[in-house]
Amino acid sequence: MSLSKGIARMALLLAVVLLTGSCSSSPPNLRTSSGKPRTIDMIVKMNHGDYWNTVKMGAEVAAKEFNVQLTFKAPDNESDIDGQIRLMDQSIQNKADAIILSASDYMKLAQVTDRAAYYKIPVISMDSEVASARVKAFVGTNNYEAGQKAAERMVALTGTNSRIGVMNFVQGSKNGDEREEGFMDYIARFPGVHVVAVEYCQSNEQLARELTRKMLNEHPDISGIVALNEVASIGTGEEMQKLGAGGRVKLITFDSPAKVMELLQEGIVQATVIQNPFNNGYLAVQHAVEAMEGLDVPERVDTKSKIIDLDNMLWPENQKQLFPFVR
Amino acid sequence: MKIPHQRLKPRAPRLPMSFRLRSIQTIITATFAGMTVLVVILVSIMLYNKFSKTAEENAYLNIQQIIEQVNYHLELYVKGMQDIYAVVEQQIDQTPDVGSGVLREQLTTLLHTREDLVSVALFTPEGRLVLDIPNAEMRRNTKLTEQSWYESAREEPQKLSFSPPHIQNLYKGQYKWVVSLSRMIEYRDQGKVKRGILLVDVNFRTIDELSRKVSLGKQGYAYIIDELGNIVYHPQQQLIYAGLKYENLEPVFDYAYGSYIDKSTGVPRYITIRTVQPIGWKIVGVAFPDEIVTTKQDLNQFIFWFLVVVITAVVLLAVFISAKISQPLRHLERSVQSVGQGDFSTPIYVSGAYEVVQLSKRFNFMLHRIRQLMDQIIHEQEAKRKSELDVLQSQINPHFLYNTLNSVIRLAEKGKKEEVVTTISSLSKFFRISLSKGKTIITVEEELEHVRHYLIIQKIRYKHKFNYEIQCDEAARSCKTLKLILQPIVENAIYHGIEKMPDEGWISISAAVQGERLVLTVTDNGLGMTPQVMDQILSGSHRSGSGSGVGVKNVNERIRLCYGKPYGLHFASELEEGTSVTITLPAESDHAEELERGIS
Repeated sequence: MSLSKGIARMALLLAVVLLTGSCSSSPPNLRTSSGKPRTIDMIVKMNHGDYWNTVKMGAEVAAKEFNVQLTFKAPDNESDIDGQIRLMDQSIQNKADAIILSASDYMKLAQVTDRAAYYKIPVISMDSEVASARVKAFVGTNNYEAGQKAAERMVALTGTNSRIGVMNFVQGSKNGDEREEGFMDYIARFPGVHVVAVEYCQSNEQLARELTRKMLNEHPDISGIVALNEVASIGTGEEMQKLGAGGRVKLITFDSPAKVMELLQEGIVQATVIQNPFNNGYLAVQHAVEAMEGLDVPERVDTKSKIIDLDNMLWPENQKQLFPFVR
Repeated sequence: MKIPHQRLKPRAPRLPMSFRLRSIQTIITATFAGMTVLVVILVSIMLYNKFSKTAEENAYLNIQQIIEQVNYHLELYVKGMQDIYAVVEQQIDQTPDVGSGVLREQLTTLLHTREDLVSVALFTPEGRLVLDIPNAEMRRNTKLTEQSWYESAREEPQKLSFSPPHIQNLYKGQYKWVVSLSRMIEYRDQGKVKRGILLVDVNFRTIDELSRKVSLGKQGYAYIIDELGNIVYHPQQQLIYAGLKYENLEPVFDYAYGSYIDKSTGVPRYITIRTVQPIGWKIVGVAFPDEIVTTKQDLNQFIFWFLVVVITAVVLLAVFISAKISQPLRHLERSVQSVGQGDFSTPIYVSGAYEVVQLSKRFNFMLHRIRQLMDQIIHEQEAKRKSELDVLQSQINPHFLYNTLNSVIRLAEKGKKEEVVTTISSLSKFFRISLSKGKTIITVEEELEHVRHYLIIQKIRYKHKFNYEIQCDEAARSCKTLKLILQPIVENAIYHGIEKMPDEGWISISAAVQGERLVLTVTDNGLGMTPQVMDQILSGSHRSGSGSGVGVKNVNERIRLCYGKPYGLHFASELEEGTSVTITLPAESDHAEELERGIS
C-alpha cells in the first residue's frame, strides 16, 4: 500500500513540474511574440505618395510590436475604386485575420465591407470612412474639425470681410465633403465672409492649376483660397506662385508634401492643416489586433489634425511629422 | 503471524498475477520506474534552470554587445564629423580672405569627398551669411537665429556643439535631416579679423540607418537621446510626440553606462545604456525579457516531451526487465506449488538467471532426496512388518514344539518322571514369555528367563551334552530389550557349535550395562565358524532347518530397525575355539512404552 502512495506522490510531483512552465503567461497580452503571427491586410487608396508611405511606416511599427504579419495593398490610383474592391475580395478569400480599409469611395466600398464582416473578418476603417455599420472602428482625422480649423485660420488671415474660394478634390468623397462642410459651417458665422467659388479638381494637379487660374480670373477680388487635399494644395499653390498672386491671396492647404513646405517658406502658403498618417497606421493596426482578440475597441479614434505655419514648423515634434522620412 | 497469513490466502488467488502489489514484478517495476523518473525529473529541473539562466544571461549579454557596437560606430562617426569640422576650420583659418575663390574651391572639393556632408556655411553673429558651400539659393523665412545650432554657438562660443537632428531649411532643393556642428570661430575678411559662426551640416541618414538596424529580439529597439533628453532617434518618435507612447527617461539620466530592468510601463523592459563620447548622446537599448521567457517556454515544451518520452521508455523497460527477472521465479513458484500438492515425481523447471538455476537445482536435489527417503521408509516399513510376522511365527514354532514333545514322550517311556515335569514346565514358561501378551519389548530379566527355559529343554534333549551359565548385572536386569533375540543365537550356538563336538559344550550368557549401552553376550566353546559362515548367517542365507524359526539375521535387522545402525550383532569366532556373539542395545529402562509405540 505504501508503494501505491509513493507512485501517487511521484505523479503529483511530475504534474507540478510540468504545470509551472505553462502557468507563466496569464493575462491576454497584445504584445505577445510567441505563436503564429496574426495576418492583417491594409488596403489604402494609393500605393505611392508620402502620405501613404507614412501610414505604412506607422503600421509596420505596430506590426512589429504586436507580432502581426502586415500586407500592404493599394491600387495604383486613388480613383481606381473597382481595384480596391478587388483587393478587398482577395483579402476575404485569403482569410486575413483583420482588414484595415481606407475607402476611396464612401458608398461603393460598403458592400464588400459587409461581406468581410459576414466572413467574421473584423474591418477597421482608417483615414476615410465607409458606409457600413459593421466596421469595428474608425481611425483617422476628424475632417469636419480640420475644415473648421482651416476656416478659423482663414478668417484670421483675411479678416471678417472677405471673399474666399474653395478647391475641393472629388465630389462624394467623404473626407472632402466633411472638410468642406466644417469649413463652410465655420465661415457661416461671419456674415462678411463669402465663399465665392467651390471647385473640384478630381485630385488632378493639372486640373487644379486650371481651376485656380479660372478662380483668380473670375474673382479678382478674392482674398483667400483653401485647398482641401495634397494634390489640390500643390496645384493651387504652384499656380498662385506662377501668377504672382502669392501673399496677396492667402492660401491654406491640407497635408505637408515637400512642395507645400517650400511654398510655406516662400510665403505663398500661409498655413497647412496636417493629419497624422503615422499614427493612423499605427493605431489602425493596434485596434485591429484588439478587435481580433475580442477586446472593446473605441468606435472612433481621432488622430488630431494640426495647423502648421512658419512659426511652429521647426518645432521638433512638428519636424518629425512634416518630414517623416530621413533622406 | 500465522492467522493473518491464513486470512490473506483465500483472497490472493483471485487477483491476477500482474496486479499483485507484493509481486516481484510490481516491486521492481515501481521501484525502477520511480527511481528513474525521479532522477530524470531532478536532472531536467536542474538542466532547465541552468539552461534558462544561461539563455537569459546570454540574451542580456548579446543586447549589451549590440548596443556597445552601435555606440562604437557612433563614436567613430562623431569623431569623423569632428575631424571634418577641424579641417574646414583650419582651411578658413589659413585663408587671408574668406571671400577668395581658392577657399571656396577647397571646401567644395571637401564637400564632394564626403557624401554625407550636406553644407558648410559661415554666418556673422547677427545671422548674416558670409560664406556657403554649395552656393545654393537661400530660402526665405529660415528663422536661422532661432535654431538650436545658432543659439548654442552664441551661448558657448568655444564649444563645438552638436545639434539634435533637424530639418535643414536654409537652401532651396530638398528638405534634409541633418545634424549641425557649430561654433564661434575667427576668420579674416580682407585682412580684418572677424568673429563668425561656422556651421557644418551632416546628413542624419547614417545615424538613422544605424539605429534603425538595431534589433533586440523580435520587438526590442534602440533609441538615442541627447544630453537634454531631446529625442535624436526613436523608431516611434511620432507616437511619443502624440502622447501615445512614453519612454521613462528619468532613470536613463542616472546612467552613463549600465543596464537595468524598467517596469514603469507595466511590461518589464530590459534597458541598456551607453553614452556616445564626447557629445553626450545616450544610446538606450530596449529589450523585452518576456521574449526570453518565450525561449524558456520553448525549452519547457522540449523538456516536457523529453520527459514524456523518457518516462514512457523507462516504464516499458522496467516492465520488461522485471518480467525477465520474475518470469523464472514465477515458473519456479508454480513448480513448487505442484510439489506442495504432492507431485514429487516431476523435476521442476530449470532455466533463467544463475541464482534461479541454482535454486532450482538445489530444490531438485532436495526433491530427489525426499523421494529417496520416502522409498526407504516404505522399504523399511515392509521389512519391519515381515520380521514381525517372523517373530509371530516363531512364537508358536511347531518344529521346536514337535521335537520337544518327542523328547518328552521318550522321557515318559523311560519313566523319567522328574525330567518330564521339568521339560513341560520349562516349555510352558518358554511359550508364555514368547507370547508375553503380544508385547515386543520385555525386560532383560524376562529375556534371560526365556533363554534359560530354552536351554533347560535343549539340555534335556541333548542329554546333558553341554552346560550353561547365565549372568546378569543388577543394572541390566531391568533394562528393556526386544524379545526373542537371545534364543536364536543360543540355538545357533547349539546347532553349529556344540552339537557336532565330541566334548562337553559350554554356553555362557551374560548381560551388562556399559555406559549408555546394554551388552548381551553369548559365548560357546564349540567348533567356531569361518568368516564366510558368519557372513552367511548375518545375510540370512544360512539357515538351520530345525531351528526355532527366527534367524540370526532377523535378530540383527530387528535391532537395527528398532534402535538404529550403531546397534546390532557382532560375531567373534575362531575354529575349534568357540564363538562369541555380542548384542549391543541402548541401555533403556524407562522408555519402554515409547519404544513399544515406535515399533508398532
